[in-house]
Amino acid sequence: MIVAGVDIGSQTSKAVVLKGDNIYRSALFPTGTDLYAVARKVVENAAQGIGHTFDDIQRIVATGYGRVSVPFAADTMSEITCNAVGAYHFYPDARVIVDIGGQDSKAIKLNDEGKVVNFAMNDKCAAGTGRFLEVAAETLGVSVAELAALSRKSGNRIRISSTCTVFAQTEIVSLIARRTPQEDIAAGLHESIVSRVYGLVNSIGPGDTGRVVMTGGVARNDAIVSLLANAMKREITVPEDPQIVTAFGAALVARSRLGSE
Amino acid sequence: MQLILDKLKLRYSRRNTEIVKWKDNTGGKVIGCLPMYFPEEFVHAAGLLPVTLFGDNGPIAHANRHLMTNACGAVRGTFEDLLLGKYDALDGVAAVLICDQVRFFFQVWSLDHEFGFFHQMWRPFNIDQSSRPFLLNELKRLKSALEEFTGNAITPGKLCGSIRLFNETRSLMRALNDIRKTRPGLLKASDLVKAIAAGMIMPKEEYNSILKELITQTRDSDYESGEKPKVMVCGHPCGMPEEEILDLIEEMGAVIVGDDFFTGSRYFSVDVPCSGDPVEAYADFLLNLIPCTTYHYPQNWIGQDRSLSTYGDYVADYVRENGIQGVILLREMYCDPFDLEFVMLKRKLEERNIAHITLNTGHEAGSLETQRTRIQGYLEMLSC
Ligand code: SF4
Repeated sequence: MIVAGVDIGSQTSKAVVLKGDNIYRSALFPTGTDLYAVARKVVENAAQGIGHTFDDIQRIVATGYGRVSVPFAADTMSEITCNAVGAYHFYPDARVIVDIGGQDSKAIKLNDEGKVVNFAMNDKCAAGTGRFLEVAAETLGVSVAELAALSRKSGNRIRISSTCTVFAQTEIVSLIARRTPQEDIAAGLHESIVSRVYGLVNSIGPGDTGRVVMTGGVARNDAIVSLLANAMKREITVPEDPQIVTAFGAALVARSRLGSE
Repeated sequence: MQLILDKLKLRYSRRNTEIVKWKDNTGGKVIGCLPMYFPEEFVHAAGLLPVTLFGDNGPIAHANRHLMTNACGAVRGTFEDLLLGKYDALDGVAAVLICDQVRFFFQVWSLDHEFGFFHQMWRPFNIDQSSRPFLLNELKRLKSALEEFTGNAITPGKLCGSIRLFNETRSLMRALNDIRKTRPGLLKASDLVKAIAAGMIMPKEEYNSILKELITQTRDSDYESGEKPKVMVCGHPCGMPEEEILDLIEEMGAVIVGDDFFTGSRYFSVDVPCSGDPVEAYADFLLNLIPCTTYHYPQNWIGQDRSLSTYGDYVADYVRENGIQGVILLREMYCDPFDLEFVMLKRKLEERNIAHITLNTGHEAGSLETQRTRIQGYLEMLSC
C-alpha cells in the first residue's frame, strides 16, 4: 500500500510518501505561487525517494492552507487533525502539541486516544509565527539561525513591546538606531514570540500531564523551544524532523481511509 | 422555495432603496430602529413603518474618523451608512440603549444628523423588581413621543392590532425555523438569516404573506436527510452575521440547526401577550425574551443553585434538548456585552461537556482561510 500526505503551508510545502507500515520518505519545497505545481512536485519527489512514481500512489490526503488547491488529493483534512495524528503516531503519550509554522501557530490538546479535544490558532496576524522571526532577522541583517545563536549570548534581554510583526520591525529599527546590542534585541524577539505562543497554549487548558511535542519549522530553533519549556515549566520534545509531522499525519489518514475502503 | 428566498435576500440587500420606493408609493413615513429590541409595534400603531437598520459588513471608510477604534461592527457599520447618506430618506431614528456603545454613539448620531424624530429608550441591564415599572414608563414615554410626532393617538385597539400582526410574523418565522430543525440542511443558514432580516425591513403585512408561501414550498420540497454533525451558532449580538462564515460552516459539512442571532431566534422566539393592557403586556414581553448577553439576572447569582450565566444555561440547554453536537461562538470584535459573558459561557459549555469553538468576527476580523481551517479542524474533532 503506497499513500501520501501533502501539507501545503504558506512558506513551505511538505510531502510524505508511506509504503507499508514503516517505509517512508519526505520532501520539502518552498511553496511559491503555483500551489498545484508545488504539490505535485513535492509528492513526486518523495515518491522517487523510495523508488516509486507519482502514479504508484494509491491515495493522497492534502492538508495545510493550500489543501484546497490539490485536485489530485482524494481528501482534504485540516492541519490540526493531521498534525495531531502525526504527533500521536510518533509519541503516543503526547497530550499537547505546539506547532509554529511560517504564518501560523497552533496549540492542540489530545486525549489518551490521540483525539483532538481542544485547539487554538493564532489570530489574524503573523506575530508568534516563523514569519515574525524571518522579518526580524532580515531587519537585523542576520539569518534566522544566527538570530537564535545571538539570542543565547544576551545578558540583557530587551522587551519588544509590540506583538505585531510590522510594528515590531519598526521597533527593531529604532533599537538599532539607539545602538542596542544585537544579541539583546534577538533575545527580546524570542521572548516576544514565546509569550505569544505561551498565551495560545494556555488558552487550550494544557493540563500538566503527558508529553508536550513541538512541531513546525520553528521547532528547530532551540532558543524558542527552551524559552517555551521554561514558560510552561514542562519538557518539550522535538521530533527528528518537526516540519513533516503534519504531512506524515495526512499520509496516515490516507492509509487508514484506503484500508477502510 | 429558492426563488422566494432569493427575492427576500434581494429585498434585504436593497433595504435602503426600498425605503425610498415605499415612501414614494405610499406617502408614508419611516422610522429606522437600531438593533436590538426596539418596540416596532408602537411605531406601526402610530401609522409609521419601522425598519431595522443593518450596517454594511464591508470596509469602513468614513466612520473610523469619528469613532473609537474599539467600536463594534454594528455601531461602525450603521454609522458608516449614516455618513454615506444611506439613511437620508428616514423620517426618524430610534434605539433601545442596549449597551454602552449604542448609548454613546447614538448620541453622536443626533449631533451629526438632524432627524424629525429621534428617540432613545432606556432599558435596564439587570432584570430585577425595579425593571418592570421602569420599562413601563419608558414605553409610555415612547408612545407619547410617537403620538406627538405623528399627531395620531396610539389607542389600545391599534396597539393590540399591531401586536397581533407582529406576533403572526414571529410565529411564521418560528415555523420556518422549525423546518430547519426537523429537516436539517434544507435551508441554508445564510439564506435563513437574510429571510428573517427581510421581515425586519419590509411592511409586515406584505412579508407575512410571502413567508406563508415560503413555508408551504419549503415543507413540500424534496429532502434527503444526511448524517452531518448538527451545530448551534451563537454570538454576534446585533447585526447580520457574516454570510461567508455561515456558508463555510455548512460547506465544511455541518448543518446549523440553531442560533441565537438577533436575525434569528432572539427576534422571534417569544410573542407579546395579547391580553390586558398592551403597554403592560409589552413590558412583560421585554422582560421575558430569551436570554441574551445584554441582559443580566442578578437573582440567579445567589443561592445554592446559583448560575452566573443565564445565557450560558440557555445555550447549553438548547444544545442538549435539540440533539446538537457542538457550538460555534461568533465573537463579534469589540462587543463588550458578549465579551463580558464570554468567559462564563465558555466555562458553562466546558462544565456541560459541550464541544465549542470561537471564531472572531466583524470588520477586519481576519482571513477567511484561517477561519476555514478552524472550522474544518473543529468539525473533524466533532466527527472523530
Ligand atoms: S450589543 Fe455588542 S454588537 Fe450590539 S451594539 Fe452593543 S457592543 Fe455592538
